Amino acid sequence: MDTSSAGIQEPFDLIRLSLNERVFVKLRGDRELTGVLHAYDGHMNLIMSAVEETIMIVDPAEGGQGSVNYVKRKMDMLFVRGDGVILVSPPSRT
Amino acid sequence: SGSPTDFLKGVVGKRVVVRLTSGVDYRGVLSCLDGYMNIALEQTEEHVNGRVINRYGDAFIRGNNGVLIPSQPEP
Repeated sequence: MDTSSAGIQEPFDLIRLSLNERVFVKLRGDRELTGVLHAYDGHMNLIMSAVEETIMIVDPAEGGQGSVNYVKRKMDMLFVRGDGVILVSPPSRT
Repeated sequence: SGSPTDFLKGVVGKRVVVRLTSGVDYRGVLSCLDGYMNIALEQTEEHVNGRVINRYGDAFIRGNNGVLIPSQPEP
């Protein structure tokens, strides 16, 4: 599948073409998701399955020795509230 | 004189920067956008502190997160 934009008239077409595919979602609060997209609406509320969430935790320690930790968790089904969504990308096309 | 609508019509297909309030930049070619400034980008690069930290073939960016700036092609 090529990445030509000929079939995309508006941004939500990009989301529509990603239904039932694995997508990458970037959320507010330094969180990222990958999972299968099942549904979306105009608010960018999402329904996803087989989800892995990655949370970036920055630990600012004294003396400039802060560290970054990643916490991952998996969920079978997930509802994502749209106002937290920053970016959605189909990872298979990167 | 140009209205915001004229700007939006003229910038489709051009290279743009979507600058988020968080300080992250997304640089790519603008496929299309809608009245809420939801944006579809191609060949997207994610820039933080001037460095590329990620690349996406296609990206949908929710409009409320930032501003849209036209950019010159990277040398």
